[in-house]
Amino acid sequence: MTLEDIIKETKTYYCLECGKCSSLCPISRHNPSYSPRLMLEKALTGFEGDLINDQELFSCLTCYNCSLKCPADVDYPLFMQKVRTLAFAQGRYGVPADSGILQSFMRLMLNPAIEQRRLEWLSDEYRISEKGNILFFVGCAPYFEFAFEDFEAGALNIAKDSLKILNTLGIEPMVLADEKCCGHDLLWTGDVESFRKLAEHNARIIKESGAKKIIFSCPEGYRTFKFDYPHYVDLDCELQHITEFLAENMGKGMLDFKEVKKKVTYQDPCRLGRHLGVYEQPRKLIEAIPGIELIEMEHTRDESICCGTSAWTNCDAYSKQIRTERLLEAKATGAEMLITACPKCQIHFRCAMVSKGEEKGPDVEMDVMDIVNLVASALEDNGSE
Amino acid sequence: MNNSVLIIGGGIAGIQAAIDSANMGFQVCLVEKSPSIGGRMAQLDKTFPTNDCAMCILAPKMIEAGQHANIKLLTYSEVLSVEGEVGKFKAKIKKKARSVDEEKCTGCGICIEKCPWKADSEFDAGMGKRKAIYVPFPQAIPNVPVIDREHCAYFLKGKCRACERFCEAGAINYDQEDEIIEVEAKAIILATGFDLYDPTPLREYGYGRIQNVITAMEYERLSSASGPTAGELKRPSDGKIVSDIAFIQCVGSRDVRSNRYCSSVCCMYGTKEAILAYEHRPGTKSTIFYIDLRAVGKRFQEYIQRAEDEYNITYIRGRPGNIELNRRNQNPTIWYEDTTTGETKSLEVELAILCQALIPPRDIQKTASILSIELDEYGFVKTPDGLSHPVDTTRAGILACGCVHSPKDIPDSVVQASAAAARAAEILSGGT
Amino acid sequence: MSDVRIGIFVCHCGKNIGGVINVPEVTEYAKTLPDVVYAEHNLYTCSAEGISSIRQKISEHKLNRVVVASCTPRTHETLFRNACEAAGLNKYLFEFVNIRDQCSWVHMQEPEKATEKARDLIRMGVAKARLLEPLEEVEIRVTPSCLVIGGGVAGMSAALNLANQGFEVYLVERDKELGGLLLNLNRLFTINGKAEEVIIPLIERVKNHQKIKVHTSTEVKGVAGFIGNFDVTLDQKGEERKIKVGTIIVATGAEVLKPVGQYGYGDKSNILTQLELEERLNKGMGDEQNIVMINCVGARIPERPYCGRICCMVAIKNAVLIKENDPRAKVWVLHRDLMTYGTEFEKYYQKAMEKGIRFIRYSLDKPPEIVGNNKVKAVKVYHQLMGKEMVLPCDMLVLTTPLIPHEDNQDISRMLRVSLSEHGFFLEAHLKLQPVEFATDGIYICGCARWPTDVPEAISQACAASAKAVIPMRRGYVRPEAITASVNEDKCSGCGTCVLLCPYNAIELQSKDGKKLAHITTAQCKGCGTCGAACPSGAISMNHFRDEEILAQVEALVI
Repeated sequence: MTLEDIIKETKTYYCLECGKCSSLCPISRHNPSYSPRLMLEKALTGFEGDLINDQELFSCLTCYNCSLKCPADVDYPLFMQKVRTLAFAQGRYGVPADSGILQSFMRLMLNPAIEQRRLEWLSDEYRISEKGNILFFVGCAPYFEFAFEDFEAGALNIAKDSLKILNTLGIEPMVLADEKCCGHDLLWTGDVESFRKLAEHNARIIKESGAKKIIFSCPEGYRTFKFDYPHYVDLDCELQHITEFLAENMGKGMLDFKEVKKKVTYQDPCRLGRHLGVYEQPRKLIEAIPGIELIEMEHTRDESICCGTSAWTNCDAYSKQIRTERLLEAKATGAEMLITACPKCQIHFRCAMVSKGEEKGPDVEMDVMDIVNLVASALEDNGSE
Repeated sequence: MNNSVLIIGGGIAGIQAAIDSANMGFQVCLVEKSPSIGGRMAQLDKTFPTNDCAMCILAPKMIEAGQHANIKLLTYSEVLSVEGEVGKFKAKIKKKARSVDEEKCTGCGICIEKCPWKADSEFDAGMGKRKAIYVPFPQAIPNVPVIDREHCAYFLKGKCRACERFCEAGAINYDQEDEIIEVEAKAIILATGFDLYDPTPLREYGYGRIQNVITAMEYERLSSASGPTAGELKRPSDGKIVSDIAFIQCVGSRDVRSNRYCSSVCCMYGTKEAILAYEHRPGTKSTIFYIDLRAVGKRFQEYIQRAEDEYNITYIRGRPGNIELNRRNQNPTIWYEDTTTGETKSLEVELAILCQALIPPRDIQKTASILSIELDEYGFVKTPDGLSHPVDTTRAGILACGCVHSPKDIPDSVVQASAAAARAAEILSGGT
Repeated sequence: MSDVRIGIFVCHCGKNIGGVINVPEVTEYAKTLPDVVYAEHNLYTCSAEGISSIRQKISEHKLNRVVVASCTPRTHETLFRNACEAAGLNKYLFEFVNIRDQCSWVHMQEPEKATEKARDLIRMGVAKARLLEPLEEVEIRVTPSCLVIGGGVAGMSAALNLANQGFEVYLVERDKELGGLLLNLNRLFTINGKAEEVIIPLIERVKNHQKIKVHTSTEVKGVAGFIGNFDVTLDQKGEERKIKVGTIIVATGAEVLKPVGQYGYGDKSNILTQLELEERLNKGMGDEQNIVMINCVGARIPERPYCGRICCMVAIKNAVLIKENDPRAKVWVLHRDLMTYGTEFEKYYQKAMEKGIRFIRYSLDKPPEIVGNNKVKAVKVYHQLMGKEMVLPCDMLVLTTPLIPHEDNQDISRMLRVSLSEHGFFLEAHLKLQPVEFATDGIYICGCARWPTDVPEAISQACAASAKAVIPMRRGYVRPEAITASVNEDKCSGCGTCVLLCPYNAIELQSKDGKKLAHITTAQCKGCGTCGAACPSGAISMNHFRDEEILAQVEALVI
C-alpha cells in the first residue's frame, strides 16, 4: 500500500485544512508539536519521509474525537493506522510503554511453540462450557494483571466478574485456552504481519469451537473483531460488548441488584463509544442498580476525553496531563467513583494516580472501577445460585 | 381571479419579480405564506458591503408591491395545487384565516397593545416575544394583524376576546375560515428563498446548551434597532453589553455532517455583523474564524480590508473544534487551531455567533411535488442544464429565482428576480 | 394670514432617528413654525400606517404643503410624494428634511446637539416649503427598440429576450464575429460541456431572429438623446449609420489580464495564462506531467484589490480537464483562498480533490518563485499552512489572472454619460437593489462589463437588464421629474458657459431675434443644477430649487 492509496482509502484528499481535527485533539491541546492536520498536510504534499519519521506519528490516540467531527469526512485514525504500517516497515514503532514488555508478550504469542497457561485463574467457582453457541473472549487481562501488579490493575477481576455475571444469567460460555491476543495494539502500531497471524489463529480456533456469538469485556477486542478482522480473516459471528449483552437481557428478571449507595460518573472508552457507538447501554446498566446516582462529566458520550494513551505507545508527560485532567473532571462532578468499560482505561487512570516524579501532575485520588466489577458487586449474593 | 404571473414567495426576490412583471404591464398574484411580505431581508439589520439599513431599502419596494395596481397580494396564504401547463396554469391557494377582516382593519394596533398573551416572535428569531394577535414587524405589508390561534386564549380556552372589545373598527372575526382561491397564470415564478440551518446537532458548538452562543440571525435581531433589545448587543445570559465577540464560519456549510455546499454569503454577513458590533460600541473586538474568505462580489475585498483596518476585526484561518463554557462568567471559550501558525489554542469571548448555513426551505419537497419540478441533491431547485437557463426549472413555464435555486446574496437574488420576470415576459409573449 | 398650510411628519425610523434625536420635542417645536398647521411623529412614517396618515391629514387639515423629516430622499422621496399625489396634492409641494443620514447617524454620540440640528433642519425645510410651487411633468414617448452593445453571451442573451418579446434590437459587436470571450474557451464549468456547444447555437438563434439586427465589426460612435429617444451613430469600418432606440444595454464584457513580466510570463516558453491553456486543452495537451497553477496573479494585490470571482473555478476546471486527460499528471494549484462559492462550485472543488489535484495555500508576503532559465523547471512555494517551503517540479506553469475592464470603458462611459467604478468596471445605480441599472434612465448594464461573472450569472444579468429595458418600452412613455432648469431669456447673454458645463448635453445655443440664447431640452435635463450655479447673469433657475427658496433656507438657518 502506497501513501497515495492511503490518501484515497481514508479520503484524506478531501481535507479542507481547516484544523478542526487539531483543535479537538487532546494531544494537540497539550503538545504543541503534534497536529493531526499537519500530518495530513505532509501526506498531501508528498513529504512521506517527514511523515514516517515524525516523532509524533505514534502519539495519536486514535480516539476518533477528530474524525467524528471532521467536516471533510477524513478517517484520520485509519490514516494513522495505515501510515504506521509504512513506518513499521522501515523499522519505526514509536516509544513502547513499560520497556515494551507488553509488545513482547504479543509477539511471543506468535510463536506456535509457546504454550500459554491462560486459564489458570479459572476456578470451580465459574461455570463454562466445552461446546456451545456463546464464547466469552477473555482478552489480555491475565497478562495485564502481571504487568501492572504494582497498582492493582484489577484486569483479571474483569474476566472473573464477567463470567460471574454471565453465570448469573444462566449462561455458561465457552472460553478458549489457546485464545491469543486480538492483535489490536500491533495493528495500531503498524505491525500488520503479526496482526494477521494473530487474527488467523483466533479466527481458526473460534470457528473450530462452533461459537455463534462472541462476548467481549474489552472494547478493543470487540472493535478489532468487528472492523479489522473482516479485512484479514473470514469469521461469521455475532459480536457484542458485555454491556450491550447485559442491557439486552437485564429486563428478564435474572439480574437482581442490591442497593449500592454511590455517586458515580462514567468514562466512555474511545473504542466502545466513538468507534462502536455504544453510549447508552453502559449507562442503562449503571442506572439499573438501585441507589446509584450517575453524574455525567463535562465532556461525555461522543465528546468524552480519551484516557491518554493507546497501544502502549508514546505514553509521555502529555498523556499523563490528559488523564490527570480527565480525573479532575471526574472529580468535579462530585462522584465518588469513576466507572469505565475498558480495562485499559482503568489501568491508565490508576497509573496516573500512583506515578511519581516530574511527569506527575496535580494530586487526584479517585476510585476507578470497571463496569463489570460494579455490576458483579451489586448482584445479590444468592441471586441465581 | 385571472393573473398572468403567479409568484410564490414574498421575500426580496419575489417582490422584485412582482414589481418588474407588474411594471411590464402584467397582472401579478404574489403569494406569501407568512402574514407579511418582506422575507429574510426584512429581518436583517444592515446589508453588506454598503451597510445600507436593510429595512430602509426594502420598505419602499414592499410598499410599491403593496400599492401596485397590477399586483394582488395574498399573504398568510399557501399554494395547495397547480394544474395545467405553461400558458394555462391553474393554482389553488389557501388563504388562511387571519381572524381579522382586512377590509375593516385600520392598522391602529390597539388589539396588539391590549392582547395579554405572548409567544416567541418568529421575526425576532425567537429572541423576543410577540402577542398572540400580531403583525410580524412595524413595516409589515399589509399592516393587518393576524391571530395566532395556537397562542390565543380565546381559541385555546374560549375566554378573553380583549382584541375584539377594543377594536373600534369591528375588524376582529374569530369565525373567519380558511378560504380557497383559484388563480390562473400563464407563468409561475418560485421565490420561496431559504431557511436557516439549526446548529443544535453540531453539539460541539454548544448551541442550545451555552446561552452565549447564538446564531447569526439571532444576532441580526439583537443588532437591529427594531429588535428585542432595541439594538443593544445584550448577550442572553445576563444582558451584559458585549465588547469581545467571535464569529464562526461554515456552521452547517462545507461540512459532510450537515451540508457539503458553501452557503455563499456567510463570510460577508459575518464581516458585516462584526462591523456593526464596532459601530454599536466603538472598540469592540471581533474575531472571525474562517476556512476560505469568500469575498467575491463587487467591493467585497475592500470591505474585508476595512474590517481589518478600521473595525478591530481579526480573521483567523481555522475552523474551531468546539466551544466550552466558562461557568464562572458564562463566557464561551472557543478551541481552534490557527492554521497559519499551527498553534492549537483557545479564545474566551463574551458572545460567540454561529454563521449558520442557508438551507432549502423546509417545505421544499412539498413545493416541488405541487409544482412537479426537480430538486438537486441538496434540495435546491434544479436548472434544466446547469448552464444556459439559470432561472428556469425542469418544468416549462415555471421559473425560479433567488436562494431557492442556491444560496446567494441580495444583488444576485435581485438580478435573478428581474431575470425571471424577463423570462416570464418572454413566455407571455409567446416565446419559449 | 398666509394661505400656506404646512403639515409636518417626523419619523423615528425605529431607533435610527428616535434613538438619538428627541423626536416628540422636535415635533412640538415644528408646530411653532410659521404656516405650520399640523405636526405629528411616527415610528415609521414610511409604513402603510404613516402613509395613510399623510393622506388623511392632508384632507383633514387642508394641508397644501407637506414636510417629512426622516431618512433620506434617495430611497423615500418618491413614496412620500406619491402619498401627497394620492391625496390630490401636487407632488412638488412636498419637501424632504433629512434628519437621519445627515443628522442622527452622523451625530450618534451627541444626542442633544443632534436634536438641535434637527430643529434647524426642519426650520429650513419649512422656510423652503412655504415657497414651493406646483410643477407639471412632461410625458416622453419611448421608441420600442433597444441597442445592445456587445455580442458576447450576455449581449446575445439580452437581445434574444428582448426580441422574443417583440422589440426591435440592434446588436452591435466590434469584432468580426459574435460570441465574445466564449469563443476562446474550451469547456465550461460546472457541466464541462464544450463552450462552442453553447455559443454556436446561441449565435445562430440571434442571427436568425427577425427582430434582431446584428452589426458586427461595428462600434458605437456617438449617442445623443435620452430615455425613449436615443440617437445612436454606428460606425462599421468607417461607414456611419444612424439609428433611433428607446433603450440601451451595455454588455461589452471584460478581458483577461495578461500578466506580462510576472513570474517570467513572456520570457519563458512554458508559462501560460489560463486562457492560453484553454486553447492548448482544445487542441490537445502535450506530455507535460507536472503542472503548477498560480492563482490570484494580478488580483487581490494593492494595485488591483478585487477578487476575480471566477478565476478559482477556471483554474480548477482546467486542472480537472488535465487530470481527466492524463490521470498520471500531477497538478498543483497554488491559491490564497479558494472561491468555490455556492452549491455547484464547492462540489466541483471536491471532485478536483478526488481526482488528486493538490491545493497549496500561499500568502502574499511570500509569493511563489520560479526556478529555471529559459523554461520554468520548478516552482518554489512557501506552504502557508505547513510553514514550510516546497519545491514543485514544473513542466508547465499556468497563471490564473482576473478579468479586467476594457480600456475603452472610459470612452463608452463618457459617450453614454454613465459612471465607472474605481476598478474601471461600469457602476450600477445601487449595488444592492439596482444591480443592472445605471443612474442614467434608459441605460442598463449586464455581464462582465459590470463585474466578472460566470456564464449563468451573465445570462441572468442579461435577462434582468432586458426586464428593466422593456418596462418603459412596454408602457410606451416615461414621465421624468419636473425638477429641471429653465432660462430667463431676458437675462441670458448667450455666453455659452452652461452649454459647455452641462454633463447631459441638454443645453444648446439657439438664435432668437438675432440673439444667441441658451435653450434647454427639458426631457434631457436631469436637474443637477450645474448650469444654474455657473450662469454669470443669473439667468438660469432650477425648478424646486429656485434662488429664493434656497435663500429662505439660508435665512432660516442663520436667524
